[in-house]
Amino acid sequence: MSLQKKYTKILSGILPVGVVGASLLLGSTVPSAAKEHPASSQPSAADRDAVSQKLAAIREAVSAAADPANNDAETRDGNLHLAWGNWWNNWGWGGWGRPWGGWGWPNWNNWRNWNNWNNWWRNW
Amino acid sequence: MPKIELLVIQPTPFCNIDCRYCYLPNRNAKAVVAPATLANLFTQVFASGWLEDSLSVVWHAGEPMVVPIGFYRDAFQLIDRAKPRELTVTHSFQTNGTLIDDAWCEFFAEAHVNLGVSIDGPKLFHDRNRRTRSGHGTFDKTIAGIRRLRRHNVTFHVISVLSAVSMAAPREMFDFYVEEGIERVCFNVEESEGDHVSQSFADSDVEGAYYRFLGEFWRLSSAMPGKIKFIREVEHALQQVIRPKDAPFSNQLVEPFAITSMDWAGNISTFSPELLGLKNAQYGDFLLGNINHDALVEMPQRGNLARMLKDIQAGVAMCRERCEYFSVCGGGEPVNKLAENGSFVSTETTYCRVTKMRATDLVLDALERVQQSPSGRTGPSLPFEMSVRV
Repeated sequence: MSLQKKYTKILSGILPVGVVGASLLLGSTVPSAAKEHPASSQPSAADRDAVSQKLAAIREAVSAAADPANNDAETRDGNLHLAWGNWWNNWGWGGWGRPWGGWGWPNWNNWRNWNNWNNWWRNW
Repeated sequence: MPKIELLVIQPTPFCNIDCRYCYLPNRNAKAVVAPATLANLFTQVFASGWLEDSLSVVWHAGEPMVVPIGFYRDAFQLIDRAKPRELTVTHSFQTNGTLIDDAWCEFFAEAHVNLGVSIDGPKLFHDRNRRTRSGHGTFDKTIAGIRRLRRHNVTFHVISVLSAVSMAAPREMFDFYVEEGIERVCFNVEESEGDHVSQSFADSDVEGAYYRFLGEFWRLSSAMPGKIKFIREVEHALQQVIRPKDAPFSNQLVEPFAITSMDWAGNISTFSPELLGLKNAQYGDFLLGNINHDALVEMPQRGNLARMLKDIQAGVAMCRERCEYFSVCGGGEPVNKLAENGSFVSTETTYCRVTKMRATDLVLDALERVQQSPSGRTGPSLPFEMSVRV
């Protein structure tokens, strides 16, 4: 299976639960009691050389999900277009009313001494 | 043409406490920015043509609350009168929280100030580093301020600086936030900046410690939904990983004037705000001029800006060429490159390995585990009852 297909499959299970649901879902996969699972609590160094390919494949999969003209089997069967639309609406500006400014692009801030609450009062 | 997105203003260099890891060089000085300097700044910023539809103003780089409320009432009024009608200006404070009283709470609510409080977790962790000049811990005053904010229903987030000790205690950190009703958390790592050399970064396993801390904190938050509503590092990592391939992407820290910083005296700097107060053998200082004597719109032509930009861009190009994580980071933090590597023309820092790479790994690894779910379903399922709007 190509990396893009793999991530299309993964995203088809994540996008429908929305932004908050996705964060909760992914967080719930972290192994508990890290001290008892030292191997699984370490960064996956063995895969380090594939990080940029993974990131590119994820974004290809997201773009395919976001593209209404894309009619391939994975996105059609998983109803991924609809899921992405809901995700995007919740994520983008003015969508869900997340008080810390949502996850809208391109206003992600890099400076760690400040937290980006741009839309706080508009959405609250 | 530059685009200013964030304006960092130092109302005073003074801080009423003396944290062990602080990088601010003049925190004993009690100077306060003059109203005329603020007027010069905002008149020039609003006339520059460098703004889009919104501007964030952060009052920081000293403790903003040692300056009286009346100062900010006057300043906000001045800004409001001078700003273009269609421009939205939002104000943010980053404070140590020790001076929060009822009057400040009322002001924060009335002026719609976005508030960040610096607290490093439970007293045991906080008081190790966040102390008064006489060496006493500041936890009791900070937590009293946070409790007062909650009584007044003022929404806030906290920024906690992680040390080796607190990174080893995610459960204690999580329980503390939940017990105090703190719902929005941001984690910084004690880092090398300016004259401060990080103890945490000297730890050979700081990357693993951070990965384990953030992972466990994320797991605990997911197991008890609704308690911690926002973990900045996780949300940012998710945002940077799960996005369309053509989504706009930028690193404000390497774009000239995207972050514009002004000290109390009117000196202007850009890129990393920490550069405002630093001096360096190679560059001297990082100041582009003074707003009281120089025209903001002429500062892009300054020779020292051209030199900094050339070096910063060279460093970004090296990151783009060599780093697997470039697409989530955009070329790193100039001030960390300078502090850790001695030059803007460099790539990896411990800071970026810890906060960017390991946070990205955490999200990528979580996606892998979703794939490995034995449920046999098309995708994963939520392990608990919750209502999600789709």
